[in-house]
Amino acid sequence: MKFGRRTVLGAATALATMSLAFAAQAQETIKVGILHSLSGTMAISETTLKDVMLMLIEEQNKKGGVLGKQLEAVVVDPASDWPLFAEKARELIAGNDVSAVFGCWTSVSRKSVLPVFEELNSILFYPVQYEGEESQRNVFYTGAAPNQQAIPAVDYLMNEEGVERWVLAGTDYVYPRTTNKILEAYLKAKGVAEEDIMINYTPFGHSDWQTIVSDIKAFGAAGKKTAVVSTINGDANVPFYKELGNQGVAATDIPVVAFSVGEEELAGLDTEPLIGHLAAWNYFMSADTDANAEFIEAWKAFAGEDRVTNDPMEAHYIGFNMWVKAVEAAGTTDPDAVIDSLIGVAVPNLTGGYSAMMPNHHITKPVLVGEIQGDGQFETVWETPGLVAGDAWSDHLPESAPLISDWRAPMSCGNFNTETGKCGGQGS
Amino acid sequence: MPLLRRLVLLTFAALALAFPATGARADAAEISAIVDRFATASKFPQVEAVIEALGAAGDPLAVPALRALEAGELQVAPDGRVVIERGDALLDPVTLEAAAPVEGRLKKVRTKNSIRRMIGDVISGLTLRAPEPAIRMTAAETIFASADAAQLDALEAALAEETDAGVKSRMEEARAAILLTASDDPAVQMAAIDIIADRGDQQALAVLATYANQASNADVQAAAREGVAEIESTLAMWQAGQNIWYGVSLGSVLFLAAIGLAITFGVMGVINMAHGEMVMLGAYTTFVVQETIRNSFPGAFEFSLLIALPLAFLVSGLVGLVMERGIIRHLYGRPLETLLATWGVSLILQQAVRTIFGPNNREVGNPDWMSGAFMIGEMSVTWSRLWIVVFALCVFGALLFAMNRTPLGLQMRAVTQNRRMASAMGIRTPWVDALTFALGSGIAGIAGVALSQIDNVSPNLGRTYIIDSFMVVVFGGVGNLWGTLVGGLTLGVVNKFLEPYAGAVLGKILILVFIILFIQRRPRGLFALKGRAVE
Amino acid sequence: MLFTRFLAGGLKSPVIIGALVVILAIGVIVPVLNLAVAPGSAFHIPDHMVPLFGKYLCYAMAALALDLVWGYCGILSLGHGAFFALGGYAMGMHLMREIGDRGVYGNAVLPDFMVFLNWKELPWFWHGFDSFVFACIMVAAAPGILAFVFGWFAFRSRVTGVYLSIITQAMTYALLLAFFRNDMGFGGNNGLTDFKDVLGFDLQSGRVRSTLFFLTAFFLALNLLIAAAIVGSKYGKILRAVRDAEPRTRFLGYRPDKIKLFAWTVSAIMAGVAGALYVPQVGIINPGEFAPANSIEMVVWTAVGGRGTLVGPIGGAILVNAAKSWFTGVLPEYWLFALGALFIFTTLYLPDGVAGLIRKMVGKARSKPRGKDEETEAPAADAPAGAAE
Repeated sequence: MKFGRRTVLGAATALATMSLAFAAQAQETIKVGILHSLSGTMAISETTLKDVMLMLIEEQNKKGGVLGKQLEAVVVDPASDWPLFAEKARELIAGNDVSAVFGCWTSVSRKSVLPVFEELNSILFYPVQYEGEESQRNVFYTGAAPNQQAIPAVDYLMNEEGVERWVLAGTDYVYPRTTNKILEAYLKAKGVAEEDIMINYTPFGHSDWQTIVSDIKAFGAAGKKTAVVSTINGDANVPFYKELGNQGVAATDIPVVAFSVGEEELAGLDTEPLIGHLAAWNYFMSADTDANAEFIEAWKAFAGEDRVTNDPMEAHYIGFNMWVKAVEAAGTTDPDAVIDSLIGVAVPNLTGGYSAMMPNHHITKPVLVGEIQGDGQFETVWETPGLVAGDAWSDHLPESAPLISDWRAPMSCGNFNTETGKCGGQGS
Repeated sequence: MPLLRRLVLLTFAALALAFPATGARADAAEISAIVDRFATASKFPQVEAVIEALGAAGDPLAVPALRALEAGELQVAPDGRVVIERGDALLDPVTLEAAAPVEGRLKKVRTKNSIRRMIGDVISGLTLRAPEPAIRMTAAETIFASADAAQLDALEAALAEETDAGVKSRMEEARAAILLTASDDPAVQMAAIDIIADRGDQQALAVLATYANQASNADVQAAAREGVAEIESTLAMWQAGQNIWYGVSLGSVLFLAAIGLAITFGVMGVINMAHGEMVMLGAYTTFVVQETIRNSFPGAFEFSLLIALPLAFLVSGLVGLVMERGIIRHLYGRPLETLLATWGVSLILQQAVRTIFGPNNREVGNPDWMSGAFMIGEMSVTWSRLWIVVFALCVFGALLFAMNRTPLGLQMRAVTQNRRMASAMGIRTPWVDALTFALGSGIAGIAGVALSQIDNVSPNLGRTYIIDSFMVVVFGGVGNLWGTLVGGLTLGVVNKFLEPYAGAVLGKILILVFIILFIQRRPRGLFALKGRAVE
Repeated sequence: MLFTRFLAGGLKSPVIIGALVVILAIGVIVPVLNLAVAPGSAFHIPDHMVPLFGKYLCYAMAALALDLVWGYCGILSLGHGAFFALGGYAMGMHLMREIGDRGVYGNAVLPDFMVFLNWKELPWFWHGFDSFVFACIMVAAAPGILAFVFGWFAFRSRVTGVYLSIITQAMTYALLLAFFRNDMGFGGNNGLTDFKDVLGFDLQSGRVRSTLFFLTAFFLALNLLIAAAIVGSKYGKILRAVRDAEPRTRFLGYRPDKIKLFAWTVSAIMAGVAGALYVPQVGIINPGEFAPANSIEMVVWTAVGGRGTLVGPIGGAILVNAAKSWFTGVLPEYWLFALGALFIFTTLYLPDGVAGLIRKMVGKARSKPRGKDEETEAPAADAPAGAAE
């Protein structure tokens, strides 16, 4: 029991020092917060983003840091626990005085930290494709909005593959729900009949896909070219694709285009049976540019030879470089100044162009459609002719169609209603 | 050089004999010339044009090049030659002989789904008269699905000399599929509909339904509709069988996930929250075994699972043994506190795996004998699921044998029934406890080997199964292996019958509500223990 | 009056009185140190710590609720997170309605998540939540009714031990899946968020935060008092009798199902109140709170603190959560090792939790018959739930 007593006392001392640890921090460096889950269900995707941020910060420091100061990464683990995201965001901003935070993956984690960023007036870079319907002053969305991923992918299938019948399969949460709502409206506007659209939702981590895959096969046997638009979330994809492969659903018969499957997810799969299934992203590791080659080389040197790169990583690459540029331009890390100077900043992306921050805090990106190859990579088979600007408020949903976002003065509003001429969220 | 050329020509001659001519016939040089056009085909429409030209040439010599293109092996050298890159070797696309080495980087001829579809069609036209019946069969199937009128002549010619009855009927179906749309003679179309409707599978349904949507002749359309209805009703019958199969296979997965827990929790009474992590360790053992095989003994990949099974049993069993000796043995008599300690163990194991292997999914491949599917009538059965069902039954049988027919099993039962008496009879009860727990953990480990074939191999693997496992054990009746088997299968089948009506999410909720209600009716599960051991 | 006399029954033990004083004192001191002490001072509690401490107190309240049924009634609930979350949802729905037309779409009736999914009108179960009083009633009623119905069936059917634990887990798991569904009308995975104010007071202001904190401390103290009163009453004695030997109690003529049902429902309501106070301080309620892992964590807090002590679980919840906050910041990659080790260590070396340890240290260890209650949960303690023929 002696041992026990000592440990408990130790824990108590540790708790006492906790508040001191929050307060006492030196000021010579510029701190950057990294808010990605390192444990729990989302660690599978988010840990990589933490690593890429550490790499970007290290590289920036080698180049002399920002404003002549070194950058210091502050890493915390919100453990895939959404309220903990809010708590950790508070700790980063108020406790550690970070100048900007790079983080979040799921929509709910972003929603959870939004009020914190608003209240404490800090900056969040959010790197993942999401459902849109949001534009907040303190958040910069470097991932794709639905019009930068879903719509072009459907256009591709419709025009190039002649698809007439659609299965919209997704995990039952807000991103697939919204995306499918938008796609449904879009498809109907294009003349697709109600009975040619099948919508299916599954729970998180769904692992038994036998029934659904055979339903898809049956739906595809109605004599019209059929495709599956998959918004199935991370973990459930591996068993889904394994079942597709085993049941022999070939991409030449029923192609599956996914919005949440990237190089990282494919790394857990034998892709040989999946050749030809599609994904729509704004970046593929196979992009043939010098910037990308350099990035991949640096990443492999940093994280390991067998690691791959993916779209959200590029989003952080773009976001981080934008932040550096904006801070240099503003000459300070003061959030208000940086938020203002971020708009209009353009930095090279990894696919050979420039991405610019728009007044609605979304960025311009190319949209690429790629086919899965046997080596776990994607090969680009189609891309938009130019860059697509992210649209915060979808034009295909009745309530959000009249909304626009412009954070420049004098409008400075994330949800300006063009019909009523008012900025929403202020009350009447 | 001339000698070589002559040899090559001889080979061609031999090949030409093997594939009798079908109308237009080109020689090797001509095919080579067309294949070489891939070198300049940088855009998709250009690639398509070359494939079309190869199809028009009508010579099976083009098949290897087309297959290579389909597989992404067709490459263009910087000097403009087109070669096949297969492994480390470079081959000539037509002769398949070793090609001269290439300076600089090869550039792949790019394809996409629509081009692969086109290749499939062209190849099927060219291989309708291949010597192997299997290839002819595939060709006929492809033509049936595409119903490409351009292949009609080739098909007729092939049909005339086809000897294999199976292939012949497939070819007739393919011809019917083409005639259905290509012909405008109602009688021909009616006959075609009959042939297709007799085939009666999903592809036949697709062909008929397509036609029914666009038919010009009302009678023929009605016949097509009738055919569609006929096929649909047959398919509906098979669907019920299919659902049972899905249920059984889901049930066997649930059973496998739960059976280890039926021992650690059911027999020993330890609320083993780390059970899922034992399953996970088994899956990661499979990963390590496959990785070792890939790196060192690539030939043995087909046996990787067989090698992984005993290893997974040992790894998980050993971890279980350590857990029992280190922690759980201090907690007998306080079973609810085992929940706390094993929860702690599960956190540590999860994070340990995350630290060692990284948080990402790891790739565990299916050996060939576990890939793909076969048909029983119109019921599709995937090999991986079939083997998992068989495996689950084997595990169950082995476990029953171990519990009822071996000295260790006897001692286990003695200890769980009356510890003091067993001890008085000279049984080393602590040792039996440790072995029982190790057995349960080891079984969880081999379940992990099976689950690695159908699910993610990630640190979260265990968490996804732990709740289901507890439900199965409790539903079946704690402490009864038969209960776990019947419980797992029942839940699996019920789930699969609910899913089409309620959807996957609601189906799962209904199952949980069902379990809650069921426990009210039978508070000790399906196979309740009777007698004094209960209270 | 009857109620006050009943409550006074809880004031018999000096430990309880001490704990009440400490909790109320914390409830006053933290806001004072936050609001009245200058930020530079060593005694100043920074703004972001106030809701954090508030969160700990809410968890403490949930652990207290769990202790009432587990420690005194032998029901190991693996589903108390469900009651906590239901209370939270009831409060969250009110806060959602309070947003009114300040949502992004400016829709005065529908919350944002309904607007962009094209819902046309408010589902029936959302009606009434614009009233604070109604929401407060639902905070108690929703978990209370669920617990009552669930307990009514379960206890009458004499479902006990691990079977009961597992079906409580099934309950919270089913609710988790149900609330995940967007069609349910509770915001799906995102849950309810973006709250603006409560009763017209801005939720982001320091004063409101401090008031909420004080309220949390107050309710924690009140719940502790109620729990102590229940445990100290004659009913409490029967409750413990049920825990220690349910069949014997039944043979004496008591109805164990009714006795358990009361404690169970009260406990669920306490957890619901904890959830309701949790939501405005954390700013979000989502189905993740229903996750079985959360309920298991509550059990862990209770065990670490020492079950069957009422005060112990309060300390346990605060200790474990403070450790979690600290570890996730300091050892982001390795904190699970530390937490896991803490759980193993506690079970092995502190069987009575921290409370038991303190009791021993102080030397006041009274010889309480603590071995007995575990035996009921584990039939024949020395022969783990036997697999007979």
